[in-house]
This record gives sequence, structure tokens and C-alpha cells, in this order.
Amino acid sequence: MTAAGPGTVPATLDAGVLDELRALVGAEHVLTSDGDVEPFSRDATPLFRARPDAVVLPSTTEQVSAILTLATRRGIPVTPRGAGSNLAAATVPEHGGIVLVLTRMNAVLEVSGAELLAVVQAGATTAALADAAAAQGLLYAPDPGSRTVSTVAGNVAMCAGGLRGLKYGVTRNYVLGLEAVLPTGEVLRTGGRLWKDVAGYDLTRLLTGSEGTLAVITEVTVALLPLPASTGTGVAYFEHLADAGRAVARIIADGALPATLEFLDRRCINAVEDFAHLGLDREAGALLLFGDDGAPDVVATSLERMAGACTRLGARGVTLARDVAESDALLAARRCSLPALARLAPITMLEDVTVPRPKLAEMVDEIDRIAGRHDVVCATFGHAGDGNLHPTIVFDPADGDVRRRAEAAFDEVFRTAMRLGGTITGEHGVGAAKRPWLAARLGEDQLALLRRIKTAFDPAGILNPGKLGS
Amino acid sequence: MSTDEQAPPGTPQATRGIFDPQLLSACISCGFCLPACPTYRLTLDERSSPRGRITLMRALEEGRLDEDDPTLQEQAAFCLGCRACETVCPAGVQYGRLLEQWRDHQWRGRHVPPLALGLRAGMRITPAFTVGGRLRGAARPTGAPSPLAPDGVRAHLMLGCAERVLYPQVSRAVLQLLPGVVDVPSGQGCCGAMHAHNGGSGAAHAMAEELGRRLPGLILTTAGGCGGHLAQVLGRDRVRELSEFLLEYWGEHPERIPPLRRLSRDGRALRVGLQDSCHLRNGLGVTAQPRELVARVAEYVELPSAGSCCGSAGTYSLLRPEDSQRVLDTHLDEIEAADLDHVVVVNPVCQRQLIGGLRRRRSRVTVLHLAELLALALRERAATDE
Repeated sequence: MTAAGPGTVPATLDAGVLDELRALVGAEHVLTSDGDVEPFSRDATPLFRARPDAVVLPSTTEQVSAILTLATRRGIPVTPRGAGSNLAAATVPEHGGIVLVLTRMNAVLEVSGAELLAVVQAGATTAALADAAAAQGLLYAPDPGSRTVSTVAGNVAMCAGGLRGLKYGVTRNYVLGLEAVLPTGEVLRTGGRLWKDVAGYDLTRLLTGSEGTLAVITEVTVALLPLPASTGTGVAYFEHLADAGRAVARIIADGALPATLEFLDRRCINAVEDFAHLGLDREAGALLLFGDDGAPDVVATSLERMAGACTRLGARGVTLARDVAESDALLAARRCSLPALARLAPITMLEDVTVPRPKLAEMVDEIDRIAGRHDVVCATFGHAGDGNLHPTIVFDPADGDVRRRAEAAFDEVFRTAMRLGGTITGEHGVGAAKRPWLAARLGEDQLALLRRIKTAFDPAGILNPGKLGS
Repeated sequence: MSTDEQAPPGTPQATRGIFDPQLLSACISCGFCLPACPTYRLTLDERSSPRGRITLMRALEEGRLDEDDPTLQEQAAFCLGCRACETVCPAGVQYGRLLEQWRDHQWRGRHVPPLALGLRAGMRITPAFTVGGRLRGAARPTGAPSPLAPDGVRAHLMLGCAERVLYPQVSRAVLQLLPGVVDVPSGQGCCGAMHAHNGGSGAAHAMAEELGRRLPGLILTTAGGCGGHLAQVLGRDRVRELSEFLLEYWGEHPERIPPLRRLSRDGRALRVGLQDSCHLRNGLGVTAQPRELVARVAEYVELPSAGSCCGSAGTYSLLRPEDSQRVLDTHLDEIEAADLDHVVVVNPVCQRQLIGGLRRRRSRVTVLHLAELLALALRERAATDE
């Protein structure tokens, strides 16, 4: 939080600065009243909130550049924001100042079948990009759970993952080029429309996952693929989540690389079923959602092979989706796991640890033990194929010291994941939420380098201060 | 783990007691509701999204915003109250209930929009619309409610307050479709839905209960918005909207399905679209039934925004005419592009909204209530087209 209390404006955001901002983007796109800025004080991360002094909604790259130039000159913190669906409190303006919202810049500028790429403005939603690509028979592969809400630049800034990571990778594998504005106002174009381009440091990759701390992304060029001819999805039920984890290890060890391998434990199955009414097996200890895409006969073979592996590993039931609608319904249900868990208690605290795939079953068992030791209710789901787990502790803050117990449990989960060769966050980012564990993950030398990189991009330290590299 | 110095959302603390705390804590701010919200789609502005509004409600409840903060006033009024966000919310947030509690507080005392105040008072003068309905020729009330019986009168038809005056042909059409199956008890007042959505949920509750006493047992309504409110107060099992009632009843008694001819013009089937009623769709979960009935008598055309609010939103079109028009424009564009003969509605305020909008555009598409369309197919005029 800033030193400024509600209703007061810090010296850096005096009337002169506000007048300049209004002149830049129009008075209706500069919000300053308590009520107007309140909705921008949080994102999808529970327990983090800080009110900005102003919210600015630019519509052009030139405006972004002018705003940043002004902010650097006057030392005003700027926190870039897309749709605010991130889960690491990366867009919470802990130091006040300006929240820079890019949702007005939402055009899909180009989809090129000849070049297999698309160019979008920062605020286009992931679903809008995917739909525009699909309309031309093309696939935008990254598929984060929040795709209908999240913006493409937000996905890039957080390096979002999703449900197709195993076969297709994550956002960083598809970013060809960026237009980004440095805090000092220069407009950069990194990379471009080329698959091969090694001229210079890979700044495109560096900005991908930089969490709004190095530059403000205003335009994104992404790689597309031909749309697969067909997709198929199946469901296997197991007695325990760890059994599902072993099935995943077997499927991958057998040499398959399917598009989707997702799992949910019993609490998640029931929460999702309460919302989606798909007829899921509420008694099962775990659900494994497997899917693949490609030519119809290839998909059929792949699904059969995965179904067979699940059966051999003791699945209590295996079914295949009959058609695309059923397939889509299953995937949609998986995407809503987190919000569906919110039905269980007022606070839903979600983590994002990732371990090497062979350690998945071990990590699942460890999470169970840790939750038991700290006496917290933990539901786990995740991208099993990527070793990416979302253990989620649900609690009612009125329940004594439960929040402290939840935090202690997660501390142990993080340390266990790292001991198994894993990481504190696979796809949600560090933000403010996982900052306390970053040093343990990276080590002092890397952390120091992060700081030097941050200074090179942002000498005044105005961009998303307090987060990565600060 | 948090560095938040303020109390986090959801932490027990001094609150103003405006909202049911359990309802308010259900939202986790995931934002899945944003694309479903008509006012967010118009503005792409977090303040005008369900998630943003809930953040505002929490700030109000927890004392972080002044009770008369202008953004609170504006956003409580700008929301259509369509509840489309509820159907896409995996967390099960009951946004409609929260909005009612919000408006109860926001529009207290001198803060009620004068027009809403007038409407709230006017709708309580039952004799006025009783006389109005009679003069306009709505279905005539027949005294005390008949006892319900499985093979006799199955439900009491609710005439509606505005509906019986504005569209008296709707209740007449229902009697044509269901002869001997419904009766029309006298003394029916307004159900209070309008009050619930305009900051008067106390009166709204009492009015629904009073109507429930006048219409004991199953209530048949031709107004989706009223149905949603009545179900919330009296219970879902007391209320049937016309389309669900017809399919249920005709399913049980196939011998009573009247002969319905296919409607055509110049030798081709009529093309008919539908505008859902928000509270019928999002509150009562009725979507397939009106479509199925339209398809029985005409070529059904699904409009891309059929399930999204048309901007009438109860009294919204009166209170915020410009915003209402902006929401409506998409629908009018789609209707004009779809080469339709009719658009069917299942709620009188939607009927008023679409009739007005299409008239302004001089469109040749006409608006019919579902009951009217079916009654049209009922008429024995086989020799001529419609």
C-alpha cells in the first residue's frame, strides 16, 4: 500500500499530472475517484488488495508511450493490467500510482494463413484470437483456463499455460514478436514474423513472463498451426489421485504425447459436478481427463491406447466422449475447477507447483500428508501431463488461525516441490503471491541478475514496483 | 504470505450489514462472468462488470467507500439485472440477490430515481390496471379461484399488471390454447418483480405473497420476469411459465394438443426468431421449451444474441433509455439481418422494447408473444396463408 490513505492523492499524482493524463487519453479514460478505482484494486488472487491512485485506459501505443514517459519523469508507479484474471496478484498495485488498463486496445489486426501467424493488440482476449484463427482453419494452441476472459498480452506477460501444454507447450512457444513500450517511453519491436531470427538477445522471450516489470506489451505476433482435423476426449476414474498420476507416467513412458492429460481429485469432481451436471462419478477418488487431436484414425488409436493404459493401472471406469459437444463440455468443466471449488468455502487459495513428471504421484501423496499435518482442506487438480499441480486450500477466515495454517501448509508444499526438482509456479507467475519463495527457487546470483536486468529496462523503477526484479 | 496491510476480503470485521455475508463471499473474482455481461461487453470496463460490481459491493459493505459514492450509485443503476453472469459462474454466486440488496440500500430515501418511485407506487394500485385490463379486453377474471384438479383446471393464469393493459391479446390467446385448463381469478395485483429490481424488495416480497394467496396452487404466467420473481418468493414448484406448462401438459395429455398448422406465407414457412426473457432463462432455466414450440409451427431461427438481454430489463428502458438503446441495437441488427417474419417474446417488457425498436427502424418484422404465435397457428384458416 502507498502511504496515502483513501481519498488522498500522493504528491507524485498531483493535479498537474492528472491534467496531463487527461489531455493524453481523454478525461473519461482517467479514473481517480475512490469508487472508480476500487474495482482495479484486485485481480483473481484472494487476500491481496491495494487501491491505485488513478486508472488510465489508453487506446494507442503512442498514448502508452506518453503515459510511461510522464510516469518515469515524475516517479509514478505504473502497474499494467489486462483483464485482471491472473492468480499471483501480479496486477495488484501495491505501491499505488497508476493502473494502466489495456482492454480498450483489443483489435485482432491480422490472421495470415500464408504465414501461419496472427497479430493482435494487447487487450484482445485469448478466445477472440483463437476464434479468429479457427475461422481460417488455424489453431492458436495455448489454452489457459481463463481464455474467454484473459487478454493475449496478459497471457504473454505471465507466460500462461493451459490444457494443451503437453503436446503444444505454453504461451512462450508461440510468441514470435512483440511491440512493447519501455518505461522511458521508447517503443520496441522485438522479433517479428519470422520463425528463424537470432539477431540479438531474445528479448521476446525475456519479456514473455516478465509480469509487467520490464515493459508494457502493446501488440503481439503469435504463431499459429493448422487446425487439427479432429479431437477426442476420454475420462478415467481412479480410487486415488496418485493412481491417476501413475497412469499419466505410464502413458508418457509408453511414448505417447497426447494434447491433454488433466486430473481432478474427489473434492474437485464434486464441485465441478455441482456446477456442470455432466454425470461425473462422484464416488471416484480421482478423474483423469485425456484427449488428443489430429487425423481421426490417429486420435482414435491414441485414445484407445490411453484408455488401455488407465484400465491396466486399475481405473474403476473409463469412458470416451461420444462427440465434440461432449468433449467440449468435459474440457469446459475442467477449466472451471478453481471457481467451482469456491462453492466449498469463502476463501479459495490456489497454488501452482510443478514437478518433473515421474515425481507427480509422489508430490500428490506429499500434498495429502502436508494438508493433514496442518489440518486444512485441500483439493487438488492440475495439468497432470505437465507435472503441474494446483493444490487449493479452501477455508473460512472466521475459522480461527486457519489462514496461518494454510500459509504454513503451502510453504511446505513449495519446499517439497523444490526438493523433488520442481518449481514454485508453473504457469500462474510469481507476482506478489509467490515472491517470498523466489529466492529459494532462483538463488542469490540469479536474483541479483534479475535486479540488474530490471534496472536496465526500468531505471526509475516505476513499472510494477515490488514485483520480479525489484 | 500476504503483504496486504488491510484486512483481506472475506475477513470478519465491522461491516454495514447491507448484504448477506455468505452471498457476498461466494465470488472469487475469477472474471469468468465478464464476457457474459452486456454492460461489460458494451464498455470493456471493469467497473461495469459483475466482478467489478461485487468488488464495489464489498467496499460498500466493509466501509471502504462512502455510502453515497457516485460510482456505487451509477453502477447499481447501470446494471441491467439480467443475471446472465449467474449462468456462467462456476462458484454459484447469486448475483441477482446481491443486486436486490444493493439497490435496496443504494436507492433508499431520497436516492430513489423519481421515476422508479412513481412506478413502484403506481404498480400497487390494483384497481387501475383491473379497469385498464377490462377496457383493453384482456382475459376476463371470473371471480374466486377454481379448485385445481388433475383432469380439470390445472393452473391459475396470472394476468400481469402492465401486460393486461399493454398486450391484452396475450391472456386471451392462452385461454384459446388451454380451454378449460386454466382459470383467471379476480383481484390480481402486481407480483412485485418491478419493486424487487428497483430497490423495494420488502414490498416486492409481500406483493408476491399476496398474489400467491389470490392464485393458490400452480400459477401460470406469460411473463418470464414475473415468473422469476414469484419462484424466488413462493418457490419454483408454484410457478410455470407458459412454454414449460404447455409442454408439460401436452406431454401428459397428447389428446388435448390442439391442431397446430405450420404457418406459411407465399408458400414458404414463416421464419421466426426468439428473444429470451433473462429471468426466464437465467433465473428459471427455461430455454429449450419456447424454441421447441416455435419450431412446431414455423421455421425457427436462432438469433446470435437471443439469450442476451434486449435492454428492456424491467423498468431499465424507462430509467436509462440511452443505455437501453445501446444494448438493444445489436439485437435489432441481428433481427434485420436474419430475414425474419416474426420475433417471438416470452415477457411483456421485451415485447414493448422490441416493438418500439423495430418500429423506429421501420422494420417489416413483427413482434409476437409466444401465446399469440401459437394461437395464430390454431386458427382454422387452412385455405389461405397467414
